[in-house]
Amino acid sequence: MDEGYNSLPSTHLLGSVPAVVADDKKPAVDEARTGSHSNLHIFPPANGGYQAPGTPYDGNEQATTNWKGVLSISSYSPYFNVDTDNVVDRILSSMNPLQGDFRRKIDSYPDLYGPVWISTTLVFMLAALGNCGTYLMNRKSVPDTAWVFDVNYVNWAASVVYGYALLVPVAFYFLLQYFGCSASLTRFWCLWGYSLFIFIPSSLLLVFPDEFLRWLIILVAGAASSVFIGINLKSYTEGSDMMVMCVCAMVLQFVLALFIKFFFYA
Amino acid sequence: MSLHPNPLHSSAQSDIDEIENLMYAAPVLPARPPSPPRASIPVSSTPFVPSNLPPPSYTKPAPPAPPPVAPVLPPISSGGASGDPRPAISVDGFGSPPNTLTEPVWDTVKRDLSRIVSNLKLVVFPNPSREDPGKALRDWDLWGPFFFIVFLGLILSWSASVKKSEVFAVAFAVLAAGAVILTLNVVLLGGHIIFFQSLSLLGYCLFPLDVGALICMLKDNVILKIIVVSITLAWSSWAAYPFMSAAVGPNRKALALYPVFLMYISVGFLIIAID
Repeated sequence: MDEGYNSLPSTHLLGSVPAVVADDKKPAVDEARTGSHSNLHIFPPANGGYQAPGTPYDGNEQATTNWKGVLSISSYSPYFNVDTDNVVDRILSSMNPLQGDFRRKIDSYPDLYGPVWISTTLVFMLAALGNCGTYLMNRKSVPDTAWVFDVNYVNWAASVVYGYALLVPVAFYFLLQYFGCSASLTRFWCLWGYSLFIFIPSSLLLVFPDEFLRWLIILVAGAASSVFIGINLKSYTEGSDMMVMCVCAMVLQFVLALFIKFFFYA
Repeated sequence: MSLHPNPLHSSAQSDIDEIENLMYAAPVLPARPPSPPRASIPVSSTPFVPSNLPPPSYTKPAPPAPPPVAPVLPPISSGGASGDPRPAISVDGFGSPPNTLTEPVWDTVKRDLSRIVSNLKLVVFPNPSREDPGKALRDWDLWGPFFFIVFLGLILSWSASVKKSEVFAVAFAVLAAGAVILTLNVVLLGGHIIFFQSLSLLGYCLFPLDVGALICMLKDNVILKIIVVSITLAWSSWAAYPFMSAAVGPNRKALALYPVFLMYISVGFLIIAID
């Protein structure tokens, strides 16, 4: 815990634009990587993202969040400090759950870009392809059904996906804090957000109107996603016996997969 | 209707630039007597020679605007805006604001319409200054995007056979919120962008999809719809690409562009799927 003028992480200063010159970003990110300087786990960001030189910024973890920090856009910039290849790398490692290296990848700079746009894409895919899948399935049984676009699918997809991606990590964050494990809200959001990615290609494959194939696809996707969540959550609860939490998380993810199958691809 | 800068509030530098532009860029015209229906400022009392150029009838958002944008008069809309040769509206830096409140409504509407057309030509159609995003949409406005979004919502609502009002609501919400969110996305990724200019651009890029939706409404064939929507979707994306990709650094270009494509693809799907 060292204060002083020589160890300020520059990514939190207002007006810093990390993307403009690539090698300017590296030192800032490297500073953020050393754990004691990174306060990306504090959400929402305090003080408009700017830390005055004298304040001990990792002294009190729940730093005073004044309204300026929450409402100013630039204070959320540190959470979007990723490049294209970072995002692609994280997505690929979410598809491959058994490697268990996702936590290492997001540890120093968890991003919120992935969760936001993966859930938005998933909402759109479920609404659009759910309609297609339902239509094809109906056409198999009754050969003359007309195509009907049910706009309600959009509403349901948005509520379910955004609600799940937003609320479940918050719930687990509070639960784990209550039981004494260290938890970080942005990392949880990042984790659950990227875990939803596998449902995007599977929603594409679920359009095929074969019941057995659909069940196979959704079971595989649900299982992969649950295992991904379980393994990564376990690494956050290292040292304390929180297997129940991990199993709950896995079950919830699987329930989401089943809901997707039942509601959107009946 | 349109906002004009109050000289008392604009910065001294932009006043001086405006004055210089008026003096050096405009042809010098003889002073004319004011015409009866207009309560215009008597020409002889102003220190500046009135010119044919219309006043800069817009305001820019304050600090983030890059300096060359704010004080430049719109060179494009000068031709069409006030068709009459009378210098009906004079701009001086020192006192009374330009008289857009007392001009006939048709003049105001004509000026805004010509601005919409010129912006459309700049953004959506190929022209030499497309590659420079700073120049492309200097004279942004929000009327054009508003018309295009409402028009698209209405067409989708008309094409739908059931739940018409819900379809309009979804289309309007997706487009309006989508434009705001896309701009915020670029800002959060560390890009340089002017908020309202970006909203304006994303609205103007909807024009091809409007045309596509109109064609799809008139001809109800699925194959035709898919072809038309694909073509107009590609056109919209082509229109939005240089602006968005120039706004962020090169290693985040895909991150900034992907949500734009997502929004246009979802609107395109909505057009195809509404029956």
